[in-house]
Amino acid sequence: MSKGIVVLAQNNAKDDYVKQACLLAMSVAVTNTNTQVSIITNDTVPIEYKELFDQIIPIPFNDDASHEDWKISNRWKIYHASPYDETLVLDTDMLVLQDISAWWDFLNRYEIFFTNNVYTYRDNLVTNDYYRKIFTSNNLPNLYTGLHYFKKCNFAKEFYNWLELVSNNWELFYTQYAKNDFPLCPSMDVSAAIVSKILDCDDKITNNKVKFPSFTHMKPKIQNWSKDVQQWQDCVGVYINKDCEIKIGNHKQNGIFHYTENNFVTDEIIERYRNKLHVY
Amino acid sequence: MTVSKGAILIARNNGKLDYVKQAFFLAKRIKHYIGIPVSIITEDIDYLNDSFDSSIFDHIIPLEYTNTTNNRMFFDGTLAYKTASFKNDIRDEVYNLSPYEETLLLDTDYIISNDLLKSCFDSKENLMMFKESYDISKTRDETEFTYISDFSVEFYWATVVFFRKTPQNETFFNLVKHIKEYWNHYRRVYQIGSALFRNDFAFSIAVHIMNGFSPGNFASQLPGKHYYTIDKDILWSLTNDEMLFLIEKKDYLGEYYAVRTKGQSIHVMNKFSLERTIDQGVHNE
Repeated sequence: MSKGIVVLAQNNAKDDYVKQACLLAMSVAVTNTNTQVSIITNDTVPIEYKELFDQIIPIPFNDDASHEDWKISNRWKIYHASPYDETLVLDTDMLVLQDISAWWDFLNRYEIFFTNNVYTYRDNLVTNDYYRKIFTSNNLPNLYTGLHYFKKCNFAKEFYNWLELVSNNWELFYTQYAKNDFPLCPSMDVSAAIVSKILDCDDKITNNKVKFPSFTHMKPKIQNWSKDVQQWQDCVGVYINKDCEIKIGNHKQNGIFHYTENNFVTDEIIERYRNKLHVY
Repeated sequence: MTVSKGAILIARNNGKLDYVKQAFFLAKRIKHYIGIPVSIITEDIDYLNDSFDSSIFDHIIPLEYTNTTNNRMFFDGTLAYKTASFKNDIRDEVYNLSPYEETLLLDTDYIISNDLLKSCFDSKENLMMFKESYDISKTRDETEFTYISDFSVEFYWATVVFFRKTPQNETFFNLVKHIKEYWNHYRRVYQIGSALFRNDFAFSIAVHIMNGFSPGNFASQLPGKHYYTIDKDILWSLTNDEMLFLIEKKDYLGEYYAVRTKGQSIHVMNKFSLERTIDQGVHNE
């Protein structure tokens, strides 16, 4: 059975998500040397990074997000585009900071798996729903699509077919399933939660009792800080050593690190990884 | 082979507070409740011998007199305070100064009222401190004792420390010493606003580092719960294991409400009221 990590990256006028995906691929290469990474994109991958990817896959079925700044309308296509029997989907603004090979053994027990517990940089379970009121007020399962897994199978295909339907008709489905705290635009997390509700399958696709697979979520208002913070990087330092180990505010980060702020990707961090991997 | 075990108290008077008196008082309670020998580290040996029955102490460990520029305010309830030197810079040396293989290090204002800490000596853990704590007022914000600052690492209390003499603990105490020596660096790196050196902070940083810059279990939780009152509260009376406190009323400066405890060991930060209570007890004897 083939397995690998897949990321979908679409640049907009402001942000270079392909660059983030390249950084993510470098982080995988440092910590998980035998893990394949593929990128789904219609943008150009810089030549020096191409070798990091197993496959560079064009977005299938046309680009449905060409008119969007926040390009999420193609995300349901990941299932169809993935070249692997088992796929771990990650957001581009993530880094893999440890060997996660044991996670695959755990995930293999599922057909689809979504993380529903995430952690602060101080390794506390996030319980604050500041960014997820819609889940609380509509009693939706607290799924994070930023890190999820699927096997090529009938159930996952059905799930993703529903995800396509919800994504393409989000106002209709959100009115039915997420009418409280109705958002201005769709979110993959909410759409996946709605699909989970439609299929009544939360028990099959998540596990509230396990600490991993999960990620460190750096959105500032869930870090248990008393100060009202807009950007987490204004408050805690970022330290990266020559082995590409990262500390945030003196806390060594492990697992998967979801930095969330695009300006986290500095030349210094890229250089650290490039030097470590001899990417020139 | 019998392993030596005992408690260590540090008492360095500063002209405003009589830590030797507090230590003498606490030593009697440690012997009563925990039943272990108690040693004192002090620079005030003559005063100790002249004013108290120093035979209560197993060892009297002399300390050369030093002054300090580490000054802080010591409150006596909400309306009064005195500024005095805060002579707290030898806690890291206790590892070497302690005559015991297994040491229970306590602040002199930690009033023992039960035998819970006795079980440290039966534990397999080599280093134990309090991380979780409980303000007996139950009305104040306790977050300052969750992390050493809003963005920084978990708070560990250096008020009570149980340790065995192990290579790891020797490294730990040396690390505390190093942090103390480079305090201005560490306090900035760990985002501590005040320049005042605090052992709680230095020990917390050292635990964090020993845990590999992550939360971990290098320091285990001491048995029992760490109850405390701040120096804006007043210890009103102490009889055997019962204490009566006047707790500051939130948003009503100068007003208090009463809280009584029984059988709880409590960190009494208002040392002036502690000393008054000790004096009251001495008069009653």
